[in-house]
Formats: sequence, C-alpha cells, structure tokens
Amino acid sequence: MSEFILRTNNLTKKYKNDFALENVNVSIKKGEIYGLIGQNGAGKSTMLRLVTGLSFPTDGSIELFGNDHPSELTEVQKRMGAIIENPALFPNMTAYENLEVHRLQKGIPGRSCIQNTLELVGLLDTGKKKAKNFSLGMKQRLGLGIALLSDPEFLILDEPTNGLDPMGIVEMRELIKRLNHEKGLTVLISSHILSELHQLATSFGIIHKGKILEELTLKELDEKCKMHVRVKVDQSAIGATVLEDTLSTTDFEVMPDGTIKLYKYLNDVRSVSQALTNNGLVIEHLSQNGDSLESYFSKLVGGVDID
Amino acid sequence: MTNLLRVELYKLKRNKSFWVIIAMTTGLSTLLHYLVVIDWWTMSGTVFNEAGLSELNALSPFTTLLFFNLIVSSLAGFFISVEFSSSGVIKNQVISGNKRSHIFLAKFLVFSLGAIIVTILIPVIIGILLVILFGHGDIINTSNLLYLGRAYFLFILPFLGYTGLITVLAMITEDSGKTIIFSILFSIIMFAIEKFPKPLLIETVFEHSIFYQFSEVFKHTMTNGEIIKSLLIGAISLMIIILCGIFMMNRKEIK
Repeated sequence: MSEFILRTNNLTKKYKNDFALENVNVSIKKGEIYGLIGQNGAGKSTMLRLVTGLSFPTDGSIELFGNDHPSELTEVQKRMGAIIENPALFPNMTAYENLEVHRLQKGIPGRSCIQNTLELVGLLDTGKKKAKNFSLGMKQRLGLGIALLSDPEFLILDEPTNGLDPMGIVEMRELIKRLNHEKGLTVLISSHILSELHQLATSFGIIHKGKILEELTLKELDEKCKMHVRVKVDQSAIGATVLEDTLSTTDFEVMPDGTIKLYKYLNDVRSVSQALTNNGLVIEHLSQNGDSLESYFSKLVGGVDID
Repeated sequence: MTNLLRVELYKLKRNKSFWVIIAMTTGLSTLLHYLVVIDWWTMSGTVFNEAGLSELNALSPFTTLLFFNLIVSSLAGFFISVEFSSSGVIKNQVISGNKRSHIFLAKFLVFSLGAIIVTILIPVIIGILLVILFGHGDIINTSNLLYLGRAYFLFILPFLGYTGLITVLAMITEDSGKTIIFSILFSIIMFAIEKFPKPLLIETVFEHSIFYQFSEVFKHTMTNGEIIKSLLIGAISLMIIILCGIFMMNRKEIK
C-alpha cells in the first residue's frame, strides 16, 4: 500500500487563458497534517476542489490512497471528509437532520454516530434550532461534523477557521490535533493565516499564483525562520574554531558554501566581529538574519518584506 | 444508489416548498373541481367532455403544459436548483464518493415522484372524491376508470420526459428563479408551436415529441398503433433526456 494518501502529478487547471493551477506536484503522507499556505486567489481552493472531484483538471493527475483512475477516485473518496469553501448545509434543517442526510448518503448504519459527532463538535445542545439561525462558527462546526461523520481517513479543510472566534479556533485546532494523534487522521488544510497553520501543520506547501513554490516540513520551516547571525569569512574552518574557542559556543552551523549560521550572540554582533578579526580572519559578510513566518512567506512570493 | 434515493426522499419530505405546493395544488384543485361540479364554471371542448366526463373538466389545466409547468418548475427550482447554488449541498454528495450519474438519477426519480404527486395524483383524487361527494358517482364506472387509467398511464411517460428536462434545466441554471422563468418561456414556445401554423418539418418533429403526446393520450379512443407510438415516443424521449442529463452532470463543475 502506498505511504502517500494524496499525490498530484503536474496538476493543472486552466480557465480560458488563465492558469488557476499550473503543474502542481504535492505529496501528502499518511498521518501528516499538511498546511496549504497561499494568498487569496493563489489556487488553494481550486486545488482542493480538484482533489475532491468537484472540478476536473485540465491536465495532470491525482492519486488518492494509491489509486489514480477516475472511477477508482470516486470510490476512494468515500474514505474522505471535506469542507470546501463554505460548509454546505440545509438551512431549514437542524444540526441533527443535516447529519442524518449525510448519514443516509454514506449508508452509515445506526444513528449513534450523529450524537457522537454532535458531541465532538460541540453542537449537542442546539436542539430544534435550524442551521440558518446558526452563527458562522456553529455552521463551520456543523460542516466539520459532516466531514467527520463517516470517520474518514483523510480530512480536507478549506479555510476552516473562517468565522470562528478565538476560542473556536483553539477548539478546532485541538480537535484536529487530537484526531490526528488518536486516529492517525491525515489532514490537508488550507489557510492564508500563517500563524494558525504553523501551530497545526506538520508539513507545508506554499502556493502562489497557481504554482507550488516550496514544500517543507515544520522542522525545515522553523529552521528557515530561526534568527541567526550570518557570517562569511575567508577561512570558514578557522572561523568555526574561533567561535568555539573564543566565544565558547557550538550553537552554529557551517553551510556548504562556507557561510556560518550562528544562533547565539544575536544582540552582540560586535563581539563576533571582534573575535574573528582578532584572529586574523577577513570578514566578507556579517548580518543578522531570520524571518518571521509572515516575512518568510512574503519574501518567497515576492512581496514586501515584513519586519 | 439506494442510499441516494433514501436521502432524496428524506429531503423531499422536509422540503417546505414541496408542502406549500401540495397545499396550493390541493386548494386550487378543490376549488376548480368544485366550481365545475356545481356547474358554476362550464368548460367546453376539453378531452374530458369528449370522453363524457365533463364533471372532471377541472383536470384539463393539470394536463396542459403551460399550466402544470408552473407547478413542476417551482418544485424543481426549490428542490434541485438550490442545491447547486454557491452554498449548495450538492458538494457533499459529490465529495461523498457517489457516482455523478447516480446523483442525477436519484434527484430525477424523487423529483419526478414529487411532481407526479402534486400534478397528477392530488388533482385526480380530489376530482374523483368531489364527483362522488356531489352525487355524480355514477360516472366512476369501469369504462371511465379504464379510460382514465389508460390516459394517465400514457401521460406519465411524456410527463417523466418533461420532469427530466426540467431536472436538467434546474441543474444548468443553479437558480430557482431562472429555472422557473426559463421553463415558462420554454412552455410558451411549445404552446406557440402547437397553436400556430408552422413549417412541415417542425410540425412533424412536434407531432413526434412528448409535448404533442400530453394532449394526444387523452383522446377518448386510441388505436393500438397510436398507443404503441405514444409509448415509444415517451420511452425514447425519456431515455435520451436521462442520458443527456447524466452526460451533463458528469461534466459539470460544481461551484
């Protein structure tokens, strides 16, 4: 069995002359929480719509649970749950009735799953209140309930925190984390709120103007965003020894190009420069680097640097 | 497919518009039948007159496309189109891993069932009940029941063809208002084609369409050939419309 839940191969979607997605290759492993980051209109929803079968690719292919034939894709979609754009609800039905519709649709035996799901998403006490009278947050939670009703292996959430209050956001994040840890649920979640995704996702795909600019793990992202002093000297090996002996630190990395990334002395760059020059080294470059998540993203997509 | 049929039935039972249409059809049907039965409203030249069932003349509007389209398209608009709108629940059905052809068929079948209830069953049952209640029960004899049975049996096939067309229209427009307006325009065009002089080709095509059959099947006497022709036109049209609907559903981008 494939270790990948979802793989896309040169996935392309074109509307007339505009590419909504262009040659997108994304791989999501079992058990991952994959955060799809992008600005509004970057192509996040288009990609999710293609994966869920709401829309058809112009080119490229999608592999879900190791299957890539269109008829097989429809079948394996039964193992997925999703909210795309807005939660799709029957406004004149209660939360219970909305879930009952979905239960019948999926052929889930017994009604106990409805009570369990209502409890899980915190809507057990909504009684006869119609979905049209729900707050935006309650609608999101009911949408999540619908997506979770059939106990899916793969959950796709498109901007799920839209309309949620701060507590609601925390609750949803904790719920997703819990389902991921306890049931091994694989999650693909899109958002333009970077800090939100950073607290939840284990892998990231950065999408911009229909193209995936970068795929990286949480560790890699943190590494890239970590503040450091970037030093380039004429002899990097000696430079490293000086840092160890004179500045008594081993919290640095020597990069393949000889640049040293020093994670200490962030507020005392002068000491670093002094130690290096005192040992006869020529400093070619010395700067303080590191990004906030927003700044890193902004740089990557070619926007304004955010300090 | 069974699951989808159960879902559609569940939704139909909870569809407010369906119950409003039932109430309106029941009220209107009762009123029309009452006015006809007490001779307040006399209709002439109807198919029921020719069959000697003038007490059931109020059924005529319910077999006329221009009139019954209002009922059928309203139901389609509020039962099918709304599901395709931007917050539409059709997304859930597609994401759930159901074949699109099955989704279309389930919607078509349950919508048609609802349309048959409001357009055929309610007016006929109310008509028969009022005729009996007002002392004209003698017309409900074997011969007339056979006529009504044959006529409505043959009527249902082209009617299903029409509900199929409206299902496709509702799916395309994704808006209840547009579904109703376009279907009214369509029925006006069909009415004009039926009533006004037309080129031979159009006349031939029209006479072999379900629209011509709506009135043809209510003729008091029909030859075997005419019955077979009517069945064939209804069945073939229905198949073509369903296949077109499935084809379009399979290629539809769900918003």
